[in-house]
Amino acid sequence: MNIIQQHSDASLAENWRTINIDLLDPESSSNFDTTTLHPAFAAVSADEARGIGQQVRQLLRGGDAEGALRGSLEMVPYGGDASAKEIHLQTVTEVLQSIKASEMTPMLQRIFQSEGGSEALDVLMKYLYKGMASSATHKTPSRGSTLTPQSTGFSQMGGRPGAGNESSGAAMSVLLSWHEKVVEVAGLGCINRSMTDWRKV
Amino acid sequence: MAAPEVHHLFHHPIADHSFSADKQTLAVARDTSVELYGRTGNGFKLKDELKGHDKLVTSVDIAPNSGRIVTCSQDRNALVWEPSPTGYKPTLVLLRINRAATFVRWSPSEMKFAVGSGARVIAICYFEEENDWWVSKHIKKPIRSTITTVAWHPNSVLLAAGSTDAHARVFSSFIKGVDSRPDPGVWGERLPFNTVCGEYLNNSAGWVHAVSFSPSGDALAFASHDSSITVVYPNGADQPPRAVLSINTQLLPFMSLIWNGESEIIAAGYDCEAFRFQGNESGWQLTGSLESKGRAGPEREESAFNMFKQMDLKGKTKDDTKLTTVHQNTISTIRVYEGSGGAVRKFSTTGVDGRIVIWNA
Repeated sequence: MNIIQQHSDASLAENWRTINIDLLDPESSSNFDTTTLHPAFAAVSADEARGIGQQVRQLLRGGDAEGALRGSLEMVPYGGDASAKEIHLQTVTEVLQSIKASEMTPMLQRIFQSEGGSEALDVLMKYLYKGMASSATHKTPSRGSTLTPQSTGFSQMGGRPGAGNESSGAAMSVLLSWHEKVVEVAGLGCINRSMTDWRKV
Repeated sequence: MAAPEVHHLFHHPIADHSFSADKQTLAVARDTSVELYGRTGNGFKLKDELKGHDKLVTSVDIAPNSGRIVTCSQDRNALVWEPSPTGYKPTLVLLRINRAATFVRWSPSEMKFAVGSGARVIAICYFEEENDWWVSKHIKKPIRSTITTVAWHPNSVLLAAGSTDAHARVFSSFIKGVDSRPDPGVWGERLPFNTVCGEYLNNSAGWVHAVSFSPSGDALAFASHDSSITVVYPNGADQPPRAVLSINTQLLPFMSLIWNGESEIIAAGYDCEAFRFQGNESGWQLTGSLESKGRAGPEREESAFNMFKQMDLKGKTKDDTKLTTVHQNTISTIRVYEGSGGAVRKFSTTGVDGRIVIWNA
């Protein structure tokens, strides 16, 4: 056992080449604390998100689609975990799907002109993008793995709307028509805010 | 309202521009040099070129009284150009930064200037007589990302800075021997160097493109990438501000803004036109564009021959390659051109399209 042997053993054990040195530098941008970019959120559990969903559906059944939409956009579980957020996304998507195309623009205009309406539409825009993202990634594993053995980076390839099943294509078209209407009412600034905002839905 | 005065200097983006006090000289940052234009009749003519940087010049500022020009660049340097009978003489400033310098402005006293940088510091530079050097002191503490913009308070001690960490901050840049002790005001009472007098963030947290103090210095406005402007009314040291008003717009983000009196803000940016905001402590709103609509060139009488020729060549009859705004691309800088006591009569804008436009406020 010579010194070289000992030395290489030590370095193998430490595996130092795989250390991300950027994380060790407190000044590095990898250590930017993004929680400083938004206020502290109250924790929301999945059950609470489900409860909000029930209330919103109640309004929807009562025929108050606008109230349901506003309610779902105001009670956003920012502090919730992934499952709570997923549940609320479903709630919002359900509300969006139940509103007729002819009612979209007048309803959006009423919301936009009311108190805090601009923020409500910013939230809606975030849900539209989240909805599009999730319906595009849901089906990737099955199709992606059969068509492309190696990962090519085009993860959405297999999940194009309409390629897989009909219902996700329909859901996507609802989101797209909402997107068009929201931009008409709230402008491009709304898209900007949905991108910059750290209060993620 | 009289039509704005438009000069198309070149086909290249203008990073920043500055007029001398007598408005006869215009400095524009073009690529790695600063071009000085002199006014000749109705136009501007290239007079001189300040070559000293070897990377993109990001900002330029002419001190109104001394006539000194300060420039900063992505080569991490700032230069002070001293006017002399034989032309401008550059002096290097010791910035001690390891990233690009992004923005520079003279303080109203002209004794010092502030340089924002990608190194997460603001260098406050002043002239040290004994060494015959421009030296700098760094404001470092709570800054966590690139400084994109700075603006001076009228007292030359307080400095506002906007950063890509989405915060607009107000610092003290008090330097012993250079500044006289400032009067206590709404931003604080004791103001040693690097005191953080305020740190503001709006809800949607876009990174900050522009900051500006109101003419009295008692309010701060900033524009950020979430297409909003935010106005802050502070309430003395260690107190929460009296009001923080955020105006979300339907437009694209603003790159630059100026105050016109205490109750009006003019902002311009990616929409290629300037917009007016009006308000006070109880609320602000967007009141409209400064662009006079319908002015977009007289509709030319098209002959049938021309119409069919256009359709044949381009597949359409109207030429839609021109924007209806005066600027044909993003406006990156807006500055007061002429005004008194905080009220603006004329202001100038430059942008990516290489035009300089002088507007009536």
